[in-house]
Amino acid sequence: MAGSSSWSRALMQISPYTFASIGIAISIGVSVLGAAWGIYITGSSLIGAAIKAPRITSKNLISVIFCEAVAIYGVIVAIILQTKLESVPDSQIYAPESLRAGYAIFASGIIVGFANLVCGLCVGIIGSSCALSDAQNSTLFVKILVIEIFGSALGLFGVIVGIIMSSQATWPAKTA
Amino acid sequence: MAGVMQKFILASMIMWVAPMAILYGFNHHIIPGSGQLSSSSQTLLSGFLAVISVNLVIVFYIIMAMKEPANRESQPDPAFLAEAKASINQSATTTSNPDAQSRDKVE
Repeated sequence: MAGSSSWSRALMQISPYTFASIGIAISIGVSVLGAAWGIYITGSSLIGAAIKAPRITSKNLISVIFCEAVAIYGVIVAIILQTKLESVPDSQIYAPESLRAGYAIFASGIIVGFANLVCGLCVGIIGSSCALSDAQNSTLFVKILVIEIFGSALGLFGVIVGIIMSSQATWPAKTA
Repeated sequence: MAGVMQKFILASMIMWVAPMAILYGFNHHIIPGSGQLSSSSQTLLSGFLAVISVNLVIVFYIIMAMKEPANRESQPDPAFLAEAKASINQSATTTSNPDAQSRDKVE
């Protein structure tokens, strides 16, 4: 370690708790950003289109529910990740297994956060077009809903990989 | 509109409460059998069950929303319609008056 370059030494000496906490923050913060973006894009089109066609509101709230599910995925993963944070004794903080656990929590948070960000954006834009076209012609709704289901599967992929990643975040045992 | 809002708020609340309850149950070993799982399989199981519960609520809401009758509110609000017609009639009568007014001003 003494002969390695200064960048790698600097990275190895950042506490794994830093990475883990940033991962938890990104998982909830960026997911909610995506969900909010999707909801305001869809909500403004929905309210505008419902002036002339009030019948579209109950079916098109499905788009808002999809965007809200994206936020809930972020919350679920954040709760799971924070149960994975354990304290280790001082001698073990920079052990390889501690670093691995810290990086696993960080990666899980980034995966979930950014997958939910783009999923929320995607579902929001599709939902806005869905409301406008449903107001014109109600037979189009089911076809656009199929596209929206594909879009919402993107967030699901991120959550699945994030949960699998976080399940193997084990810190070294305290008695080592 | 009230029925729509009620269904939406109910679905949203269940969508928040169900996964939190599942995660809480697994983490505090309230659910029977969760005490014997290893830490990693407990994480996997609780995470996947929470995500599945959110998706079940979504499917349930979609089914409820598609079953609503389509043409219950196909007419615009009658009060709005009456006011719109009244304003059209009023503007039609005022367009016939300005000729008399302009003759008065010239005099």
